[in-house]
Amino acid sequence: MSVLANFGGVLRAPPALVAIGVAVLVGGLLVLVSGADPLQAYAQIVVGALWPQNLPDTLNWATPLVGMTLAAAIPLRGGMINLGGDGQLVIGALVGAVAPLVAPLPGPIAAALALLGAGLAGGLYAALAAWGEIRFRVPMLISSLLLSYPAVGIVSYLVRFPLRDTTTGLPQTAMVPDGARLPILIGPLNMGVLMIVVIAALVVLVDRRTVIGYELRMRGANARFAAYGGVALGRQALGAMFSSGAIAGLVGAIIVLGGQFRYIDDALLSPAYTWSGLMAALLAQGEPAGAVLAGLFFAALQTGGFAMQRETSVPRVLTLVLQSIVILFLAVRGGLGKRER
Amino acid sequence: MAPAPELEAIGVVKRYGALLANDHIDLTVESGEILAVMGENGAGKSTLMSLLYGLQRPDEGRILLRGAEVRFSSALDAIAAGMGMVHQAFKLFDSLTVWENVVFGAEPRRGPFIDRRAARAQVESLTEAHGLRVDPDAIVGALSVGVRQRIEILKALYRRARVLILDEPTAVLTPQERDGLFAVMRRLAGEGRTILFVTHKLHEAMAIADRVTVLRDARVVARMRTSQTTQSEIVRAMTGRNVDLQISRGVAAAGAPLLEVEGLTVAGAGAKPLVEGASFQVRAGEIVGLAGVAGNGQTELVEALTGLRVPDKGAVRVAGATLTARDVAAHRHAGLAYIPEDRVAVGAALGADATDNLAMGFHRAAPLSHRGLLNVAAMVKRARELIAKFNVKIASERALAGSLSGGNLQKMVVARELSHEAPVLIAEQPTRGVDIGAIEFIHGQLIAERDIGRAVLLVSAELTEILGLSDRILVMYEGRIVADMARSQASEEKLGLLMAGRTAAS
Ligand SMILES: Nc1ncnc2c1ncn2[C@@H]1O[C@H](COP(=O)(O)OP(=O)(O)OP(=O)(O)O)[C@@H](O)[C@H]1O
Ligand SMILES: [Mg+2]
Repeated sequence: MSVLANFGGVLRAPPALVAIGVAVLVGGLLVLVSGADPLQAYAQIVVGALWPQNLPDTLNWATPLVGMTLAAAIPLRGGMINLGGDGQLVIGALVGAVAPLVAPLPGPIAAALALLGAGLAGGLYAALAAWGEIRFRVPMLISSLLLSYPAVGIVSYLVRFPLRDTTTGLPQTAMVPDGARLPILIGPLNMGVLMIVVIAALVVLVDRRTVIGYELRMRGANARFAAYGGVALGRQALGAMFSSGAIAGLVGAIIVLGGQFRYIDDALLSPAYTWSGLMAALLAQGEPAGAVLAGLFFAALQTGGFAMQRETSVPRVLTLVLQSIVILFLAVRGGLGKRER
Repeated sequence: MAPAPELEAIGVVKRYGALLANDHIDLTVESGEILAVMGENGAGKSTLMSLLYGLQRPDEGRILLRGAEVRFSSALDAIAAGMGMVHQAFKLFDSLTVWENVVFGAEPRRGPFIDRRAARAQVESLTEAHGLRVDPDAIVGALSVGVRQRIEILKALYRRARVLILDEPTAVLTPQERDGLFAVMRRLAGEGRTILFVTHKLHEAMAIADRVTVLRDARVVARMRTSQTTQSEIVRAMTGRNVDLQISRGVAAAGAPLLEVEGLTVAGAGAKPLVEGASFQVRAGEIVGLAGVAGNGQTELVEALTGLRVPDKGAVRVAGATLTARDVAAHRHAGLAYIPEDRVAVGAALGADATDNLAMGFHRAAPLSHRGLLNVAAMVKRARELIAKFNVKIASERALAGSLSGGNLQKMVVARELSHEAPVLIAEQPTRGVDIGAIEFIHGQLIAERDIGRAVLLVSAELTEILGLSDRILVMYEGRIVADMARSQASEEKLGLLMAGRTAAS
């Protein structure tokens, strides 16, 4: 049976929790071997992530990460995979950064248009991968990833040359006008957080309560069964990939309009939101509510990692190792633990 | 002291949560013996077989092989101890060839390499020796269920199993193939091998088995010698009641054609089409049986009729609507319900619960949904009703389809498709793997469908089923419809000949 074929609800608790437990143990051993104190390191992670005054930072980090988790979870729910999140993210971010510069509109309208355009661009670009699979039978796993590289390259070129803000020496676009920036909620938090919350709620709702969500879940459980029931698999793949890419594109625009106010080359990809998001979605086997929880968990882990690196001698790479161990452990269980029936 | 029995189970218990699937089962088989294990759907037969074969551990009790207790931690241990099993749901690699599947895990070697030539040759001679017609080089994914079954049997034979466990092996075989299998089984038993054999078919148990062990509600309720019992006695042990094995039905009053097929052709990979110029009609109030040896194009024909496959030529009309080259949704919308032959791969999602499984195909319209929003309460209600009406044995409507026994899964698929109340029903092997009580029920339902004026196309490997239910019979051979006759003109012999590609001497 497919690893994805689980509808038990949130985060099939036992395996995921066991995986996290194992990761904590192995990570602790690694810290111990390297001569530091694992308890102290873990304490710093927890404090750094969850202490009240640190919480807003964690949420700020979680916004794009959870967004990319949702982007990964949607296709995964239907047994498909979108490895091209990076490409869709930068396309969305570029649209978000450029639209307010070129459209002479009042700020909020420009921002709304920029977000819309970013979602549309990311979505269409992701749908291209689905189209490649339907039309030319290039597996989406491959085409989505391969489409990502040219997107990243071209956007980088555009930012470095034609669209560069020539008043600075850096590869970045001009600042977007104040009015087109996302309003601040409190502290470092802006409207982007709310948008991701709304999107997450929508995705969960669609998954549980709508015909589209039902059909996607059934495809994930058995694609031939879905086809037999009258689900048009091609159209569905296009839809799932479009939604996934649209969220990725939107996340790109939120990063730009919410925090950096311009497209800074490399700044979007260096935190590797796409890959953390993909891991979180895998951890929950595509179930969106579980995926959001997993995304929040990873975000907390990563923000905690920064604090740990500041306060102890343990580098924050540890948290990424923990993340990988969780996934690896689950994958091994899924593969070897599979019982015949 | 008498020699220890070949295989013995003592007080074996297996629970799934609160459900008791095997309740202190005792079972003994001597070497050289063929034992039939019978019982209604969900009685615990497959569970018992998987315990004996080491796929699962019993919660209590012991299993002895030639007097020594065994604790298999996986099927690999069981295979090493000389056991072989053919499962109810097959376990083959779709992308590999037949011979690769057969030798997998026990390949003949030359140095560090697999000796492909020797492997292929061994498989080929095995197919010939046992009369199991399979092309060793065919890719398994492209083969029909019937052919895959043969590969499973070949796999066990290739490993020279001393104890062979067959879980409903004949469900997918034609009478000729079944006779071939029985000949193999007799030969193997004659060599001193032991065979455990699960079946729902009384005549098979009587024909091939030395003894029958009957399970009911997880317990052994009877052990008998076939030479000293009768079919009706076995039935009574299984069900606790008398079952009418005769199919009784009135005369058909056929009306307008509801399913019309003209010159349908499906090209194959080779030069020869898989389906060639098939033309026929199924009228309202009529059951048309499609007979044929598995692998002669029936699967592809039905896929083309249901929209799962685009035909290369020809036309399909359902209730007057022309559907050629339209998608599955259009076919379903025009009024077509379909019970597929492969309930696991096509007819159900094992990882989803019964409620979701039973909603498929109904989920786009009221009452299950409204403007794209699901009505979960209506879905649950519908699932409960169908489970009750078709007597599906399941823990709850939220239990996974994968937890159902084979026959109960089949009942769930049949329940869903019959409840479409569509003008046209295509029923492919509708009673495969269901117990005699359920066969009686499903047959009754098919006849009821006919009697209220629906058109039923019945595809079955079971000639008695075709002859018992059909008003008209089509025979398919090598992709073509080679005969179209009224029931009154058909006989088992005549159909057998036509299915083998010979024209009946009329
Ligand atoms: N993995 C499982 N989880 C929960 N329940 C299970 C599981 N496997 C089997 N069962 C239940 O155990 C009971 C016995 O199932 P089993 O498959 O042994 O029946 P069977 O006698 O082989 O029936 P059939 O003739 O329909 O194949 C059934 O009620 C079934 O639903
Ligand atoms: Mg069974």
